[in-house]
Amino acid sequence: MSGLWFNASWRGKALCLLLLLVFALAPVIADRYLLSVLILVFYFSYLGHAWNLLMGFAGQLSLGHALYLGLGAYTAAALWTLFGIGPWLGVFVAIPVATAAGLFIGWLGWRFAIEGVYFALLTIAFAEFTRIGFDHLQITGAAGGLFLPVNGQAANEWWNLGGGPLLYYYLSLTLAAAGTLLVARLRQSPLGYRWLAVREDPQAAQAVGINVFRARMMAMLVSAGMTAVGGVFYGFYYRNLFPSQVFDIGHSIELILAPIIGGLGTVFGPIVGAIILTPLGEGLTGLMQSLGLNAPGAKAIFYGVTLMTIISLQPNGVWPWLARHLRLDRPPE
Amino acid sequence: MPIDKHRFSRRGVLAGGAAAGAFFIAAPSIIRAQTRVLKAAVLLPQSGYLAQAGQSCHRGAMVSASALAELGHTVELMHLDIESNPDVARTQAERVINDGAHCIVGAFDSASTLAIAQVCEQRQIPLIVNIGAAPQLTEQGYKFLVRNFPTGGMLVANGLKQIHALIDATKIAPKTAVFLHANDNFGMAQRQGMDKAFPNSGLPFKLLESIPYDPKAQDLSVEVTKIRGLNPDLLLVVTRAADAIKLVRDIVRQKFQPMGIISPGAPGLYDEEFYKALGPLADYHIDAIPWANPKSKVTQTLEAVFKKEQPNFRFAVECFNVGFTFDALLVAADAFKRAGTGTGPELMKALKATNLADHAMIGPPIKFDEKGQNVDIPSSCVQNRAQTPTVVLPADIATMTPVLPEPPWQGRT
Repeated sequence: MSGLWFNASWRGKALCLLLLLVFALAPVIADRYLLSVLILVFYFSYLGHAWNLLMGFAGQLSLGHALYLGLGAYTAAALWTLFGIGPWLGVFVAIPVATAAGLFIGWLGWRFAIEGVYFALLTIAFAEFTRIGFDHLQITGAAGGLFLPVNGQAANEWWNLGGGPLLYYYLSLTLAAAGTLLVARLRQSPLGYRWLAVREDPQAAQAVGINVFRARMMAMLVSAGMTAVGGVFYGFYYRNLFPSQVFDIGHSIELILAPIIGGLGTVFGPIVGAIILTPLGEGLTGLMQSLGLNAPGAKAIFYGVTLMTIISLQPNGVWPWLARHLRLDRPPE
Repeated sequence: MPIDKHRFSRRGVLAGGAAAGAFFIAAPSIIRAQTRVLKAAVLLPQSGYLAQAGQSCHRGAMVSASALAELGHTVELMHLDIESNPDVARTQAERVINDGAHCIVGAFDSASTLAIAQVCEQRQIPLIVNIGAAPQLTEQGYKFLVRNFPTGGMLVANGLKQIHALIDATKIAPKTAVFLHANDNFGMAQRQGMDKAFPNSGLPFKLLESIPYDPKAQDLSVEVTKIRGLNPDLLLVVTRAADAIKLVRDIVRQKFQPMGIISPGAPGLYDEEFYKALGPLADYHIDAIPWANPKSKVTQTLEAVFKKEQPNFRFAVECFNVGFTFDALLVAADAFKRAGTGTGPELMKALKATNLADHAMIGPPIKFDEKGQNVDIPSSCVQNRAQTPTVVLPADIATMTPVLPEPPWQGRT
């Protein structure tokens, strides 16, 4: 981390601190609508970080990350509703559950050399049959859903993640900031360098003594664990969980858009991607509303066009281009 | 130019700033309280996987402003797409409340409705649920929510009553039935309702088996083969539009001929796609669901406006979604008129005191219990006749008499 900080230009450091300050003070001037948009920005930034570790750093495409999100959400929510175990403790159960699932998928894939697009299919398959399994799991309400209390004392205790938008705002901001720090730290660590080596050329990495299987499993472990924490946040923020929503492949796709647009394999890419996508989508809705236009699906088309434009103009994402143009990288000495 | 210090004292500026700040903070609620026109936001899934039904409801909302005007209510509607996504539903709820909405109507899907309900609860703005069957909507203790739509359990129980009436009216004697249902939120809620209601329904046939299926499955041939093996007299189904088409196609392909295909309260059998895809094979299936009352003056007004403003769509096919969406807005307009204000708590108080006799859907006056649920929403039997859903029971509102057993597949042209 210290390496990343000291390698950054003064502009980069100033921008980082300014953004953190602006976001920390945003609730003073922002209304509830803006806060709800910012919560989504931080939430998708955080999940983008988690996915980016596996894809951007270790080079393994997962299209089923909703699995770990759902397992995290369901585990913490079920522990609270069934046994009265709060989310701060529940998260320590949710993480092992999701990482166990992730490690099993990783083991199955990499042990038997299922790589690339076949590994992506494997992740989709696991997310799908987990969804079907939860559709029939009566203890968590099956397809009818699992519901957390929304009224009464228990629903308003901050230590049980109950409360208004301010609590969730700062919680999501903390998650996004902590996720960024963790990813930055890992990126600069020996493990991070091993991931990059494995991503670029697994055979060459193996030849120089890197245990490719172990490096990928470590990426899966951290990625699934981080996503599970995001799932706990999701479960308590929405306070209702339906397998068809939580484990849906659409959810998996949604959470990978920010890092792809922001910049795969970069520390700040997921943040930039989330800052671009969520507010722009909302801005488009506002614009259409003010013009009196009702065009369902326009946002999805806009997302698609944005994605194609960015991929064709900036194949590495927005962040590397932005960092270069704002001279946020430290110039070589 | 020198500044006149007597005109711009520090205290004066601070006091002025505080007053201006207080005004801007309080402005939305002051405007809400003073308004004479109900400003209702209609949040529906107009895109995403629920787009078909959401757009049908949206057409209902579009024609509601004119229909309500003819009934003496002035409303201003804000239409927003929630994209079949609870994340979007939540942010759009915050948006419309910021924009001055007195109440929200929506949102067809239970997950999105629950996301909106949390925002409404925190901001004390009433939410009137047009369609949403999850029992938890009115069981979780929301104080700013009312629902003029039956729960999954109510739908099934009322549907079974109608099947009883249907058997009496057609004099058929089914001995066995199979219950086939989608395993999504709605289908599983219906299954739970069926498990609870069927043993006490007094129906004269035995339920051989309940078979769940994945509505995303490419075909239902395995399920139909299983049903064919059981050879029930009646097939009770809970479907969505696309899988209802697949189901009937597989039934015809496997030459299985039950006395009737009856839904105890679900979409699918009366959608336009169903008629277009199956033609005469879509006829004679029966849906036991709440329906627009063809003999109500309110429904007739709504139908006339719908025909004028939505000429490309059939009211007879869309009246379930259109009728419930219209009734939700009618309930809001009626409460607003009685409350005389748009402030949330007063409007909610008026909503809870609703006693609305004239409305579009069949049934007694709309009233809400202490949980905000209208517990008295009866079902009717709607049979497909000449590819048009037609009310065949109860007799007092029926426009045709029911036909069962269904004519054989082979003779249909």
